[in-house]
Amino acid sequence: MYESFVTKARALGTEVYRVDDPAAAKQLIEKLIREAGAKKVALVPAPLLDALDMEKVVSAARAELLTAGSVRKRADEADLGITTFDLAIAETGTLVQDATALDRRLVSMLPPVHLAVMPLDGLTATFRQAIANLAAGEIPGYLAFVSGPSRTADIERVLTIGVHGPGRLIVVFIDEQEGRGSR
Amino acid sequence: MSAKDLRQKSREALANENLGCALGRFSDSYVVSREEIYRGMDFQALREEVAGIKSGAALHMEELAARFQAAAEKRGAKVFRAATAQVAREYIARLAKERGVELIVKSKSMASEEMHLNDYLQEQGLNVAETDLGEWIIQLSCQKPSHMVMPAIHLSKEEVAAIFSKEMGREVEPDIPDMVKLARQELRKKFLAAGMGISGGNIAVAETGTVVMVTNEGNGRLTTSLPPLHVIIVGLEKLVPRFTDVAPILEVLPRSATAQHITSYVTMITGPVPAEGLDGREYPKKELHIVLLDNGRTRMAADPVFREALQCVRCAACLNVCPVYQLVGGLFGDVYTGGIGAVLTAFFTNPEKAGEIQNLCLRCERCRDFCSGNIDLPGLIGELRRRTVQKEGMSAGQRLIFEKVLADRRLFHSLLRLAAKAQKPFARGGRIRHLPLFFAGLTEGRVLPAIADRPFRDLADSLPGPQSAGAAADERAEAASGVRTAGMSVGGRVAAAPGGRAAGVPAAGGRAGAATGGQASGAAADERAGVASVSALRPAAPRQKVGFFSGCLIDFVYPQTGVAVQKVLTALGMEMVTPAAQSCCGYPAQQVGLPDVAAKLARQNIAAFEAAGVDKIVTACPTCAEALKSLYPQLLAGEKEWSARAQAMADKVQDFSSFVHEHRDELPLNPQEQTFTYHDSCHLKRRLGVTAQPRELLAAAGGTIVEMSPADICCGFGGSYSIKFPEISQAVLGRKLQAVTGTGASVVAVDCPGCRLQIAGGLAHRGSPVEVRHTAEILAERLKK
Repeated sequence: MYESFVTKARALGTEVYRVDDPAAAKQLIEKLIREAGAKKVALVPAPLLDALDMEKVVSAARAELLTAGSVRKRADEADLGITTFDLAIAETGTLVQDATALDRRLVSMLPPVHLAVMPLDGLTATFRQAIANLAAGEIPGYLAFVSGPSRTADIERVLTIGVHGPGRLIVVFIDEQEGRGSR
Repeated sequence: MSAKDLRQKSREALANENLGCALGRFSDSYVVSREEIYRGMDFQALREEVAGIKSGAALHMEELAARFQAAAEKRGAKVFRAATAQVAREYIARLAKERGVELIVKSKSMASEEMHLNDYLQEQGLNVAETDLGEWIIQLSCQKPSHMVMPAIHLSKEEVAAIFSKEMGREVEPDIPDMVKLARQELRKKFLAAGMGISGGNIAVAETGTVVMVTNEGNGRLTTSLPPLHVIIVGLEKLVPRFTDVAPILEVLPRSATAQHITSYVTMITGPVPAEGLDGREYPKKELHIVLLDNGRTRMAADPVFREALQCVRCAACLNVCPVYQLVGGLFGDVYTGGIGAVLTAFFTNPEKAGEIQNLCLRCERCRDFCSGNIDLPGLIGELRRRTVQKEGMSAGQRLIFEKVLADRRLFHSLLRLAAKAQKPFARGGRIRHLPLFFAGLTEGRVLPAIADRPFRDLADSLPGPQSAGAAADERAEAASGVRTAGMSVGGRVAAAPGGRAAGVPAAGGRAGAATGGQASGAAADERAGVASVSALRPAAPRQKVGFFSGCLIDFVYPQTGVAVQKVLTALGMEMVTPAAQSCCGYPAQQVGLPDVAAKLARQNIAAFEAAGVDKIVTACPTCAEALKSLYPQLLAGEKEWSARAQAMADKVQDFSSFVHEHRDELPLNPQEQTFTYHDSCHLKRRLGVTAQPRELLAAAGGTIVEMSPADICCGFGGSYSIKFPEISQAVLGRKLQAVTGTGASVVAVDCPGCRLQIAGGLAHRGSPVEVRHTAEILAERLKK
């Protein structure tokens, strides 16, 4: 299932990584922030990220973690945004997030690079299965399905990446996490 | 818009090479990538599932709207039911003014286009920015979107650069990534400054009050996230009962629209969510208004025929594969374009214009195969045409031709015989290159074949033995009964029956003598038809009696096809009879919206074939086959006596290639190697589902088939279409000819005399040596002596 996700997601231009545990995740994320040349990072707190001690990771990558000011301003200023996702769909290479909270919507959309952190056990086989799972509970206020970077083909049908949303989408799957089930 | 204006506008659109080129290229690659994206999926099952959900929703539209409203309001949204576009516009403008909104950002919404929302808001002094890149380009250049999914597909990058240069007040280079970046920067400023966001919706779920929206650029997500006030406009046809209904619709929509498994963003909004004001103030719940738009949808749902159009998911596949849309773009439609556009225009935006634009449909029926909602779009356009003619009438001249001439077989055939003589000054070597005056359109870009000196009915009549007995007796019976219209059918049937039955009896001497005379006088025509002698055509002990429905084109233009059919059937041990009382199949009358005339012809033909007492009916024209097989039972369904007779006839009808294919093992062929390319005629492939049979027969006759890419795109003939819109017909033909010459084959095999007329005419006009031949003729030539 993971392999199928990787194939589909990469075909859409998503960069996919997988690490065994939080320690490896910290190392990888630091490297990714550094390689992206991000100076300012915005993130949305979540248990999954708390366990990764992101403040340290960001500063180790020689970037500034934006915490002050309005979320509109932070998200618009950041070179890279980090949020967590709940579900992934192998069939389509899609990430799914309850984006009811404003910061999740803006941090995942406004910066040119988005880094999604995702527990491996959230992987679902098909789109239909994901919809059926969601239908079983109360539908959140704002459900976001994200499949690859922002794209357009509106001028001469030439595929161009990064219109209004991020031009790069990176996902890091973590096999095992601390505090599993409380993300 | 008058018919004349429409033709003039179509000339202009055709002159825009960029448009035709961009759309044509897109269509070719679309078909390939769409097929790829559906690989491993059962598209038919999937679209039937979608059609089931949407047709059920259309039947319960009002109930679903009430449930949606209750669910959405329970979650904190304000739902506004707008009966008309005007009411919806006023509601939105009032809201913006009351909240002191200075700038509105919009993401793509066809419903907002339908209500001409931008123009209205601007008239009200409000500032609106489209944020979808294509829509923004269209807005900046004061144009109208030409495609539901790709609004600016008709513009080149140079044109876009010029539009951007004007907007920016500085030179913008025609570099696509740079221009996209510029749009990102400019529109980001607007997103951050906007006080209101307006978005559309692709699906509205009644049970949860959820609105689902698909986008690729992400502008939809920003429109629905940044401004503290959000308005969603969604048409009633987007309602579905359950949340799980979202899955099948989203399985077809992106695949059919842009050949994607899924779009970059799928957003599902259920009630208001937190927002931050322009002043930095936090709102735990933003203000969310959902405008449920009717504007003709309830009326459509109440219409037993057009209700089907509500199954549309707006994927625009019907535009992408339409040979006419590819050439003229947005001209084929109003706000909504293409085939579905014609239908939606009739109910949502401009009923009068719909009556005009439906004329642009070629009736090639290609769209039906691709529709995500399993809509019989060609059927709906036919109904639109019928209602237009019923309401607005038809020009007196045209009505006269159909009602007085076509419906009267003897008059029609006499006129055709007269025309065969009258054309003499224009015909050279069996072809007509130029016609004077208003007939000139017929020979524009195409050489017409001359009407044959002797129609097939005369050749058939000159055959010795049972053949002539049947035909002549029929004609005599028809004359004796003195009735030529619908009223004749009963009398005609009874009177003609003995003659028809006599067909099985060996010929009497007197008849043979008459036939010989006929043969002598018809020698020239026989030579042209490639028949040295037809006397050997009758099997001694026929296995089946097959009635041949020739159709007007084979009868009067291509009699050699009829002769070939007869040779092949005879070689199979069949006895072929050609009832002389048969007339036009009626399809052209149905096509122009005169079902009464078509029904009259149907009754005549049914009676003629009943009289002949045949086991099977074969035709070498797929359009005639469709008329006999599908149209007649439909036309006569309400007539007590006729409906069973129509069905009995329909059950006997088969197209030539399918019939011969069933008996292919018994066909005494003498294979000769030759390379062909095969043209799929629209009616044969799409209505009768026949594609493999003629190819296999040609292969059995020693042929090698080099396929065109694509083999099934329409030739542009479309019956009277080529007279009404000769320029479009010619441009569609141009694409076909390109595909033909691309194969390098020296012969195009076809199963349809109409396609043959069009393709051969185009090739001759261009001086091409490539020949067009009916499959029957190719087979007949390769029969063992």
